[in-house]
Amino acid sequence: MEFKLEAHRIVSISLGKIYNSRVQRGGIKLHKNLLVSLVLRSARQVYLSDPCPGLYLAGSAGTPAPPTPQPGEPTAQPPAGWGEPPPPAPRAAWPDTEPQPERPAVPDAPRAVDPEPAAAVTGAGDAFRGREEDTAEAAWGRVDRPRVAAAVAVSDVSPEGASVGCPPTREEQPGASPAADCRCAPRPAEAEPSAPPALYPRKRGAAGAGGGHAGCPALCSTPLKKPRRDGGEEDGEEEMETGNVANLISIFGSSFSGLLRKSPGGGREEEEGEESGPEDAEPGQICCDKPVLRDINPWSTAIVAF
Amino acid sequence: MHQPPPASCSRSSRCECARVGVRVSALAPSQRPAPLPAGSPAPLPPEPASRGTSALLPVRLGPWCSPTGSPAPLSCETGCGEGSWILVCRLLVPTQVNLLSMEEDIDTRKINNSFLRDHSYATEADIISTVEFNHTGELLATGDKGGRVVIFQREQESKNQVHRRGEYNVYSTFQSHEPEFDYLKSLEIEEKINKIRWLPQQNAAYFLLSTNDKTVKLWKVSERDKRPEGYNLKDEEGRLRDPATITTLRVPVLRPMDLMVEATPRRVFANAHTYHINSISVNSDYETYMSADDLRINLWNFEITNQSFNIVDIKPANMEELTEVITAAEFHPHHCNTFVYSSSKGTIRLCDMRASALCDRHTKFFEEPEDPSNRSFFSEIISSISDVKFSHSGRYIMTRDYLTVKVWDLNMENRPIETYQVHDYLRSKLCSLYENDCIFDKFECVWNGSDSVIMTGSYNNFFRMFDRNTKRDVTLEASRENSKPRAILKPRKVCVGGKRRKDEISVDSLDFSKKILHTAWHPSENIIAVAATNNLYIFQDKVN
Repeated sequence: MEFKLEAHRIVSISLGKIYNSRVQRGGIKLHKNLLVSLVLRSARQVYLSDPCPGLYLAGSAGTPAPPTPQPGEPTAQPPAGWGEPPPPAPRAAWPDTEPQPERPAVPDAPRAVDPEPAAAVTGAGDAFRGREEDTAEAAWGRVDRPRVAAAVAVSDVSPEGASVGCPPTREEQPGASPAADCRCAPRPAEAEPSAPPALYPRKRGAAGAGGGHAGCPALCSTPLKKPRRDGGEEDGEEEMETGNVANLISIFGSSFSGLLRKSPGGGREEEEGEESGPEDAEPGQICCDKPVLRDINPWSTAIVAF
Repeated sequence: MHQPPPASCSRSSRCECARVGVRVSALAPSQRPAPLPAGSPAPLPPEPASRGTSALLPVRLGPWCSPTGSPAPLSCETGCGEGSWILVCRLLVPTQVNLLSMEEDIDTRKINNSFLRDHSYATEADIISTVEFNHTGELLATGDKGGRVVIFQREQESKNQVHRRGEYNVYSTFQSHEPEFDYLKSLEIEEKINKIRWLPQQNAAYFLLSTNDKTVKLWKVSERDKRPEGYNLKDEEGRLRDPATITTLRVPVLRPMDLMVEATPRRVFANAHTYHINSISVNSDYETYMSADDLRINLWNFEITNQSFNIVDIKPANMEELTEVITAAEFHPHHCNTFVYSSSKGTIRLCDMRASALCDRHTKFFEEPEDPSNRSFFSEIISSISDVKFSHSGRYIMTRDYLTVKVWDLNMENRPIETYQVHDYLRSKLCSLYENDCIFDKFECVWNGSDSVIMTGSYNNFFRMFDRNTKRDVTLEASRENSKPRAILKPRKVCVGGKRRKDEISVDSLDFSKKILHTAWHPSENIIAVAATNNLYIFQDKVN
């Protein structure tokens, strides 16, 4: 139980970091966002694999102060899961295990960031509990084309490619907010999808307006600036994941109304973890004026008088 | 590749960077005319911002730095176990305001009490982001977040003041990089200097490479102490003379003048990196160097700015499968074909450029199996390597991750030969450190000249030294409060739990905003430079 709280808190903090990274000077830092996404993934894994699935932590604007995480705590969770590096291979197996295209009807689906499409959420909600970490890992991983294939069946979004399928589908379904944040969590570090990416942001923009996500249309303006990529053109046309992260943020920003306010200040609030009491060294420790042979430590030898 | 117009160089008729030529490419971000920042040196209107000149300012920090007693030994063989460290001087990376004030205000104490201690003068642009000694140790370069490079020079030994040797004074200041805006991607490019690397000296001038997130520049720092006088068509103030008034001709002669140190950009290596450059490393052949960003490493020739070879590319075909990024890279100190790069997964790859043009397949792979008992949410973050350094001998590499420093033997790939805990007491605080972003801090590590001692930074302005031979370690603090000039640094200790002794500091009272990320060790002597926010501390070994 504590683990879920802790995991949930970490997830919200991570989302806040991703949200704020888009306004940071110098652009989005790939390394940091990759690390944040890894934490997100780990936290979600812990969250999902916890034996009490019905916990719905949404709406708690202030997360209760969780106990200080002990390093050993997460290992109490299914340990097998920890040993999995996020492999691309299991994701390929994802479409096989994918039960249903998205139907984000599970109300108790964890509000934690859910990287798969809604389909995963529904199936995952129950199936994950019983599944091995492998699949959970795969579910958590960034699913691309297989996911799209599933998404295609549901929505009339044309199979434009990896990133296209999911978000537009999200937008069209009002109940999709909890699941809308799916699949985007571990994707802060993504750059251009191999499929035509330009369509993706534009579709999101259109759908976003319809979907009523307040933060989305404004934020979608950024990905609209992405130049259209013709397939195969590699050199120089690469993006730095600006568009995807912006979409990611818009999804999160509108979904986690309880945890993150839509305004940029909301994210910062969550991750405002100021160190309490970083006092200076006590004044009593300043004593370099007089030569003193303090102890046998070779570093403290006599001071040359001035 | 696109060579941007050398807007930064005013002497276009003589400067080499103008001769390279410009090849326009549709992707080139247009050069925003850089307004002169408030801190730029010598604001002459025709002078562009990136070219700096400064008179050699005798920035005396007064009696605060006067040495006394016997001078420290010059050998670096003593290691860290037999000596003690004294503060030589504390230098502020000066903004232009400070420089002007310092010229008038010689009294150190007044300076110390007025604005050096006044935090309002310490702007974010003054935060030092890199420190590097040159190959002889005579010069010390610092780069800051405002894109400036400040070079300090060691005071020469003189007969009158034998004991003053060891102090470093400002030698040159120039604006290396300006903030830029990439219009295509709507991204601002920070001007923060990520790394500075010196080239070995081959003539009277000094050369260094400085880089921000996207652009590497080669700077030439040269002294000028003579100027020509006696032009025929110009008078002494530079005004043109009417040729009709000239009746005789004279030959211009060189006359001595006050020493002036000039810095000019000789090469600009731009537009080769999509991601943020994190390292540069000069090859031992002194003809090439490499620049590494998150996913790629490029090999450059110093003479050619519009082309570079890509030698490592770990970008996956599908970015969604990205699992690791390059965090640091360095050439072998002697073998010009060998280099290493570290990753965010805690692995190091050694590559041989003779094997193939694209070194995606490593020659050696260094990884330590993870300790499963230490797993946590943040295991991946703390295993990410922030710095990798070859030893001077070339036999070892040292890596720094968040909590440890590891020394690896190049001949053994499955585990490091030495592991040193820098601040293991933070292991239980990882969640808080994640919240305040401290867990992403990238600490650097350095070897001493003889590879017997390694040093790295920590929080609360602490830095740690580990003697590899005696297995002793020490924690020292670089702070204003308890650093009187020539005072010996007192070792510090962090109390982990239980009873706190008198001189110890508890983990909860550590100041995580004061972090020492960048340090440098003189190549042959026991002199270290420690950067604490906007202060540069220089310590010297003193053996009784």
